[in-house]
Amino acid sequence: MQKMDKRFIKKVRLYDRIATRVISIGGLMIIASVIAILLLIIKVTLPLFQPASAEIIHRVVLPASQPLPLAVGVGDYQEIGFTLDSQGLFTFYTLADGKTLSKIFAVPDKKQPLISVSINKNNIYTLLWNDHSITSHSVDYRLEFDRNGKRTVVPKLTLTHEFPALAYPAVPRRVLVRQGEEQRLTVVALLADNSLWVSHRTITTDLFDNETTESFAFKIDENLPGLITAMTINEQGTALFAGTDAGSLIRWDLSKNESYVRTDNVIAVAGNQAVTALTMVFGDISIAVGDESGGLATWSRVWVGEENRVQKLRKIHSLKSHQAAISAIAPSRRSKSLVSLAANGDLHLDHMTSENHLLALRHNLKIFGIAGRDNSLIGLDPTNKLLVWNIDNPHPEISLKTLFGKVWYESYDQPEYAWQSSSGSDDFEAKFSIIPLLFGTIKGTLYAMIFAIPLAIFGAVYTSQFTTAAFKRGIKPAIEIMASVPSVVIGFLIALWLAPIIERTILGVLLSMIITPLSFLLAMLAIKPFYKTPNLKNRCAGYEFLLLIPFIVAGVSLAMAVAPIVEHYLFAGDFKQWLYDDLGMRYDQRNCIIIAFGLGIAVIPIIFSITEDAITNIPPSLTAASLALGASRWQTIWRVVLPSASPGIFAAVMIAFGRAVGETMIVLMATGNTPILDWSIFNGMRTLSANIAVEIPEAPFGGTLYRVLFLCATMLFALTFILNTGAEIVRERLRKKYGRY
Amino acid sequence: MTKKFWRQGEPYVWATGLSLSLILMLTFLLVYVVMANGIGVFWPNRIALATLKDNSFVLGEIIQENIKPATGQKRLQFKIGNRDLYDLDFKWFNAEDIAAITYPPRAYLLERQEYGNFYGFLNQLELNGLARPDLNDKLEPLEAALKSIEPLQDEITALNSRIAEINQRIETIQRKQARLRHQGKAEDRQTGPLAARDQELQADFTKVVAELNRKKQELLQFEAVFADANGLIKRIPLVEIVRAIQPNTMNIFAKTGYYIERLRELFFAEPRESNTEGGLFPAIFGTIMLIFLMSVLSFPLGVIGGIYLREYAKDGILVRMVRIAVNNLAGIPSIVYGIFGLGFFVYGIGGQIDQLFFAERLPAPTFGTGGILWASLTLGLLTVPVVIVATEEALGAIPPGIREGSQALAATRFQTLTRLLLPMASPGILTGFILAMARAAGEVAPLMITGVVKLAPALPIDSSFPFLHLNRKFMHLGFHIYDIGFQSPNVEAAKPMVYVTTLLLILIVLIMTSTAIYLRNKMRARYSVIDV
Repeated sequence: MQKMDKRFIKKVRLYDRIATRVISIGGLMIIASVIAILLLIIKVTLPLFQPASAEIIHRVVLPASQPLPLAVGVGDYQEIGFTLDSQGLFTFYTLADGKTLSKIFAVPDKKQPLISVSINKNNIYTLLWNDHSITSHSVDYRLEFDRNGKRTVVPKLTLTHEFPALAYPAVPRRVLVRQGEEQRLTVVALLADNSLWVSHRTITTDLFDNETTESFAFKIDENLPGLITAMTINEQGTALFAGTDAGSLIRWDLSKNESYVRTDNVIAVAGNQAVTALTMVFGDISIAVGDESGGLATWSRVWVGEENRVQKLRKIHSLKSHQAAISAIAPSRRSKSLVSLAANGDLHLDHMTSENHLLALRHNLKIFGIAGRDNSLIGLDPTNKLLVWNIDNPHPEISLKTLFGKVWYESYDQPEYAWQSSSGSDDFEAKFSIIPLLFGTIKGTLYAMIFAIPLAIFGAVYTSQFTTAAFKRGIKPAIEIMASVPSVVIGFLIALWLAPIIERTILGVLLSMIITPLSFLLAMLAIKPFYKTPNLKNRCAGYEFLLLIPFIVAGVSLAMAVAPIVEHYLFAGDFKQWLYDDLGMRYDQRNCIIIAFGLGIAVIPIIFSITEDAITNIPPSLTAASLALGASRWQTIWRVVLPSASPGIFAAVMIAFGRAVGETMIVLMATGNTPILDWSIFNGMRTLSANIAVEIPEAPFGGTLYRVLFLCATMLFALTFILNTGAEIVRERLRKKYGRY
Repeated sequence: MTKKFWRQGEPYVWATGLSLSLILMLTFLLVYVVMANGIGVFWPNRIALATLKDNSFVLGEIIQENIKPATGQKRLQFKIGNRDLYDLDFKWFNAEDIAAITYPPRAYLLERQEYGNFYGFLNQLELNGLARPDLNDKLEPLEAALKSIEPLQDEITALNSRIAEINQRIETIQRKQARLRHQGKAEDRQTGPLAARDQELQADFTKVVAELNRKKQELLQFEAVFADANGLIKRIPLVEIVRAIQPNTMNIFAKTGYYIERLRELFFAEPRESNTEGGLFPAIFGTIMLIFLMSVLSFPLGVIGGIYLREYAKDGILVRMVRIAVNNLAGIPSIVYGIFGLGFFVYGIGGQIDQLFFAERLPAPTFGTGGILWASLTLGLLTVPVVIVATEEALGAIPPGIREGSQALAATRFQTLTRLLLPMASPGILTGFILAMARAAGEVAPLMITGVVKLAPALPIDSSFPFLHLNRKFMHLGFHIYDIGFQSPNVEAAKPMVYVTTLLLILIVLIMTSTAIYLRNKMRARYSVIDV
């Protein structure tokens, strides 16, 4: 024997080792990729549930000589902060080194103290001077670049409105100024005699561009339940709110120039506690109410009553309470978040709609300010030190409750499950309830399974047990062809070809579901006599499905022919109208019947193939024994084969369920994609998968919608993972069990 | 006896037969509808001239007739075309309003660049401002006129490609400038020449555009004057006419020729009129390229995975887990793959590539947005399980005696694999490849997220460096169906094109699947012999 070349053997062994390594790593990579897909999707989702975080980025010690500030503020770029003191002096600081950048008097020649300051939109400061004159100033930050491209932030103070001292009937305590859209400037002053003074200034422009300025003023002097302790007004200057020391919340309508109407007067705080702070939530629909005992709630007007529906102020959301009386509330200008400060110096950040308590800062603060972009907070602590926080709070509106629970959104009359991700307006609040999507997914899948499961299982039983081998060879590829039809084709056909046909003949379709079984019974009765001759019986065997086709066609045709007559006599000539009038169901062209067909076509081949496999794998000795004991061929199937194959069939159904749940194109094309909660078979739905396809092109990277869509994908993944793993375990058991035979 | 019939459960057997017939009828109906609506689209129909009872005329193709459900009257649907004149392409007429229907041989069907088909009669031709009355109503003068403008059209095409070339150069220079700026070399020695070259090209560009506009104006001088059924005059520049036929005079050969010509257009021309007319070339190209790129990723991984599972892995908890993982991969909804592709490939890897290599173009993304590479990687991941399962099955079908024999002859496992098992399993593996490609050809949902577009400005492969542009967006047959069937403004007019696209897609998929099934059956037959 010739000895083999050592080097050759070495080489071969090396290749073998390398191959083993590579192939094993490849196999493990598959598990890794499943896990990686899951982890990545979850990783994108997770920030939704991360709590907000705040971190002190700057500390500035104020000079001891300076009088106590009335207000503090911080710029969007987190580089500049300022204080406003009781002399009307704005002092800007560079936060990084605590140096004074500039000192600007609000009104340079006014050497007098302020009575009060009110803040609007987080950057407009309305000052009430000692001589009762009013000025409004906005603080903005401008970016400037020098020749080397170095960026500097420059604060800018602009005088927006100025009012000379008005002839108030009593001493003003606080004032609010709002510029409405229709050229109306509204000033509301709270006077020392517990009355409110309202003055409007309107500018109208006539055809020739001549401006006329008109002024209106009136006093709201009603018998109020208690002393006014807080007040606020909306941006348009049309709705004025006041809170009293007896816990009342009063709303006046100021949309008319000459007069006012009291629209609401409710007890907002129980137990004779005072309302201590009021502010409008961003969007101007809700009002936040803070009280003496530290309670914080938002109220808004909702339609109540059955017959005479009227709008009433109702408490909508209760937010986390403080330990002490609330001294100030400031709304975010980006979301429905609120920052509230209590008398004990605690600062809370809450989100209204989700009722999420986002942050609590316990630094014994006196006053605070928010940056316009919501990214930083500034506060003054008792040691006369300015603290600046960087706020990281990307998804304040998301919590498990908003995703899966009923949420009371603004302008809704009750809490609801709602999905609405976008709208035209800026202050729109996106509504992310997963429930309608889950519901739609399950609804579509269930209807499809009701249609597909019996057809596919019985079809598979027939193919594997009753038909001839020649037919079997033809039928199985036909089913595989059906399985390979792309879902976009199915979706297109059922949406653009089938849906209009079914819409025209809906009653015929429903009738044929009754008439076709009847025609089947008729076929049975017709065939029965032939069974007396065994010869004919045997000749039929294997061809039953072909013999039945004429009966199906006849049944469906009869239903279509009868439908107009039935419609005329029973449904007053229009079934869809009858459906709407008598049952209150709307008929949509793209509905669940269509979806059942479409998803059915998609999943029938899956159930069929796996069931057929499961039945074929039943050892023939079982069926042979049953038949030998005198059981008929159906009895054998029903009592022996199906029970043995049931785990396999169960697995088939689970896998098909998984496919139907995740099917996208069919659902996207053939449902209206409206996220509704309605079991009616005559309307559509929106599924998780279609929702992803519809919304993802509009979702900015890293935004809330983007992450919520990843959450949808995670849920789909989890659903199919459970179904598939379950199915696989069942199938493996089956394989082991019958592998022994 | 009769009692026995029920007691033995024969009707139930028949009921299972009923299920099967329903499934089969559904399948055939599905395929039939696509075939019936798709095959006839390009066949030229006769143009009917209907004289209505109010003495007006309707000219067009009769699309269908049926009974109006509400009134029980017979009605006919005409495709009247002439969208620029009537706004609607299709119109229903009650049969009783129609006095007579004739098929005038003079009637023209024009396919136009815009506004869809035109049905009408030719009045006269105006070539280069000179009126030439059309004397004999035959197609020839119009055909000759169409031919006469061809040199001019060729010149315009040449100018257009020149403009594209100049644009390309300008873009390259601007990219270089952007890179220099990004590197902070604002005052590099290259900047001067680059700027000069840029200016030169810009000047060239303006010149060529002016020339192009002049030629275009010249071309508009060639016009045909048509009249619709009621004598309404419509002047149509010859350049607007894609094809002109007189279907009522065509015989079967002419019609076949026309049909073939339309098929040629379908396969090799660009789409027109927001994809509802013209060809499918970019979509076919995109689909094929997508499948090709997908295969490059999916096939090796899938085969390796299958080999590992069947030949290398020791039966145990790990293999069970891998099997479950594979089946899970196969069962994950395609949209989840799509969103994974978006998060991982597009924003993850693509974003990284952009920051490393294309930083000067930021914030405009290069690889950080959907493209054919990301779409095919996503599809590759999606089809890996198909290949794994096929490979595993093919290897499993090989009788163990062959392995044992090989190893008894001192071959290593790797040698056994490459010399015996893989060649023997190759038909089965091939089946898996084909099935995977069929699946990839029909999948749309993940593509919608990872880079398919309704109209791609350029193919992923072209003559400009680096020739293969994997970052480009692409068109796809499946998405084409969704797009023109559901997003187009005139769904009714788009329907023929949707059916044709559907037919094409379904044919591709069915041919692939049938080949796979055939191969597999053949292979099964082969091994069942060895097995015994």
